[in-house]
This record gives sequence, structure tokens and C-alpha cells, in this order.
Amino acid sequence: MNISQMSQTLFYLIEQQANSEKAVNYLQQQADAFHASPQVSAFYRVFTALPRFVGKQLVEVPSDMAFAIERIRPGFTVTGWTIDRLARVWWLLQLPADDQTTYVNTISQLFKAAEMNELVALYSALPVLAHPEAWKFQATEGIRNNIADVQSAIMLHNPYPADYFDEPAWNQLVMKAFFTDKDVTQITGLNERNNARLAKTLADFAAERRAAGRSLPQHMEELMS
Amino acid sequence: MDFMDSIRGMSFFDMHVHMTSRTTDDYQAMADAGVVAVVEPAFWLGQPRTGVDSFRDYFASLVGWERFRASQFGIRHYCTIGLNSKEANQEELAEQVMEILPLFIYKEGVVGVGEIGFDDQTPAEDKYYRAQLELAREAGLPVQIHTPHRDKKQGTSRSMDIAIEHGIDPGMVIVDHNNEETVREVLDRGFWAGFTIYPFTKMGNERMVEVVKQYGPERIMINSAADWGISDPLAVPKTAALMKQRGISDEAIKLVTFTNALTAFAQSGQISLEDLTQPIGIDQSQRYNGSSVLRGGQAPRVDKESTIIK
Repeated sequence: MNISQMSQTLFYLIEQQANSEKAVNYLQQQADAFHASPQVSAFYRVFTALPRFVGKQLVEVPSDMAFAIERIRPGFTVTGWTIDRLARVWWLLQLPADDQTTYVNTISQLFKAAEMNELVALYSALPVLAHPEAWKFQATEGIRNNIADVQSAIMLHNPYPADYFDEPAWNQLVMKAFFTDKDVTQITGLNERNNARLAKTLADFAAERRAAGRSLPQHMEELMS
Repeated sequence: MDFMDSIRGMSFFDMHVHMTSRTTDDYQAMADAGVVAVVEPAFWLGQPRTGVDSFRDYFASLVGWERFRASQFGIRHYCTIGLNSKEANQEELAEQVMEILPLFIYKEGVVGVGEIGFDDQTPAEDKYYRAQLELAREAGLPVQIHTPHRDKKQGTSRSMDIAIEHGIDPGMVIVDHNNEETVREVLDRGFWAGFTIYPFTKMGNERMVEVVKQYGPERIMINSAADWGISDPLAVPKTAALMKQRGISDEAIKLVTFTNALTAFAQSGQISLEDLTQPIGIDQSQRYNGSSVLRGGQAPRVDKESTIIK
């Protein structure tokens, strides 16, 4: 994926939002300052503090923008996001990516100290970060997370797992989605990545549910055949 | 009469409670009693921490997991972040904690630096209390002060002296765990006065009623400080009920159980009345595709009276 192209497109989308002047000015200023002098402390501060300046309203995504974004990164969507989430993902794209170790360490520190909405943004960003192979383990940590919105950020409408998870990790994602009452039809790649082992695990689980006198989650049977 | 009957429909803000140490039953009971928001100050966990990562994970849980856990019961969870006075005495560790504090104090929902102040009143406690006052001043955040159990009166005065010495506006400081002996000076000097209703060691709520009668409701706020000790997470609603029973006006009750805490912590820019009056389920940041979704976490109700567990 071309990072600078994605960065420009997301920024253009932010500019298109109603009353986004303050947000745009703030983000442009911070990006200019960071490009001139890339201090990691400033990178962290902006990532954390930006909702104070950009607000939290829902973004409007015109269909041509959704199409443009999807062309740069297939499967990637920002529909339904709030502007702080969008701005945070855009901000992550400002980090120089040439040195993989530094890049991965810097972003990993953000994961370690993140609050809920930051985690949502971080997991949402995985499909557009540099060195995509490096985030596989972190992505499985998102599936293990116990916070519903964080789980949704990695499980639903996110192309990263379908593109990079091996079969056991993928199957965990789908099982966890059922266990945490997600709408599994929102999982990107659900049908393409379905496999015999998952079908077997789901069939066993269905039998367990029936034995307990509990109903089956929606859409489970479709994946068992 | 059930105390719940007299306070039905009232909303409460418990501005000091350590939910990390409490169960989901407590959350349910608090929600049922009208608690709509809490502040959880970072504190000592009972067991001393030996490494900075324990602090990091604790701070992260205050802005992460605990906030989510509260939201499942419709309670908004805010926190104050700081190095508590007791653990400030491990200086080598304290230095490392000071380094990670800036990572957390700017986060959403962090409404102050706290709880900081004195325990033993050692030189190390003095040093890190001052350093954190500076941090709060730079970040424009309120300060939540824990006043010491031992040598309390003098320790409370000293905490306020130091805050003023560092150029902190008393209006930005909540001095907590007051009693009949400390309250006058705290109010006279323009600070907010927190009172902790906590059996045996802090305030009883009959005494609290008398304090409000004597000093009025201005700049006074009450909390439960419920934690891992014998404490009561319903201390705020129960005290509201007792105040009502003993003739304190509804307006005064609202000030000391809700509005004053909100006003004080709203100075952080991280909490507002609009936040608290919006139903938690349709928080904009937690919506998907513009429609509110029933999130996996929404806690289902369990019938506690039934012997059947399904």
C-alpha cells in the first residue's frame, strides 16, 4: 500500500467534514512540526490529545471517497468512524517507516499505554500501517482483549485478519466473535476464509449449546456446512 | 423504610471510589441507587508494586478495562492519575513512574492528577508531591489530594501551603478525606473539600449531615472511597437519603453529591454535564454506522433472589 497516498486521502476526507477547520489547522500544524523535528514524545502527545482539538463527531464518507480509500487499500473502510478515530489513524501514517525496529517499537508503546478509544484507533489502523507482517501478534492480542469496542475494531470491517492471520488465529477470531455476540456478517473475509477445521469446531460448539438448552448464535449454521 | 425510596430519581457522582477492588454486584447496586458517574483515583493496591510495568498496567486499566466494565452498568468512569504518597517512598521506582505519567495524564477521561499528597510526610513524599503539582499545572488539570491519616490536621495545612507555593489556584484542588477538624481551613482558603464516608476510620454519615448543616453545601462534596477495605460503595446515595431525612434541602444534597464534584473536575475539560446526561449506550464514539448497537458487553441482569442459575 502507498502510505503517503492513503495519508493524503484521509486528510482530504477530514477537510471535507463540516466544521473541520479547527481540526484541519491543528493536524496540519502538528504534522509540519513533527516532520521538521520528529520527536517521539510529540508523536505520542498528539496521538493521545487530539480528540480535544478535532472533536468526536461521526464522519460523513461520500461514496467517491469510500471508493478511493478502498482502491488504495482493498477492504479498508472508515465508514461509521468518529473523526478522532480517523485523525488518529491518519496521524499514525505520519511516522517515518524506514527503520522497521524503531517504527514497530514506537507504535507498540502506544498499544501498551492506550485507553479504550486509542486501542480502537490502533487496531483500526493495522491494515494501513507499514511493515504489515510485524503486527500479526498484536492483532491476535486485539482478539484476546476484553473490551467490546476494541474487539470490534479488529474483528469487524477490518481486512487485516483475513489478509494476515494463519488458520488457527483466524478461527479464534470467528469463535471469539460468536462468543462476544458480534454480528459475524461484518467480518471481512468471513466466507473466503472459512475452513473445515472451523466448521468442525463450530459444530462441536453447536452441540454444546444444544446440550445446555441454549440457542445458537445467528449465522453459525451457515459456516458449519 | 428502604433508603432507596427516598432518593429515587436522584443522580449521584461518587468522586472517589476504587472500583478496581470491587465486584460487578457493586456496580449493579450503585447503578440501581442512582450513581451515574465515578472518579477512580490512582492509589496503592494494598500490595506494594515492585516495577514500573505494574504501574503502567494499572494506569492503563483505569482508562481501559475498568472504564469499560463501568459502562456495562451505565456508569461513566473517570479517573485521576498519579503516584500515590505511600509508594513515592520507593525513590528509584518513583523516578520511573514519574517518567510514564505524562503518557497517561493527557488521556481522555483523565480528570485530574491524583490521589497525591502525604502519607508519612517524608522528604520523598514531599518531592514527588511537588513534582506532580508541576505536572498538573502544565497540563491544566485539577489536583486530587489525599490527606494523611496520621498527623492529619498539620498534613492537610501543609498540602495546601505547598500547592499555593507552586502557583496552583485553590479552585483547581480537591482536598480529600476531610473531617470536622480540617474543613474550616480548607474552605476558608478557597479549596474544594472532599469528605469520605467510610466506616470506622473516616467520616460517618451522621457527622457528615452535621458538617453540611454547619458549613452549607458550597465547595463540599462527598465520596465513598470504597476499596479493598471494609467500605461501602453506596455511601453517597445512603448519605443523600440521610440528609433528606434530616431536613437538608434537595438543592443542597444535589450540590454535595453531584454538582460540586462535576464543577471541580469539569475544569479538566474531560467531563461535562452534557456527557453525564447523554445515555451511555449511544455515546457517539461507540456507535457503528450511525446506529447504536447493543454491544457484546452490555450486562444482562441476573435474578439474585433465585436459586436457579441459568
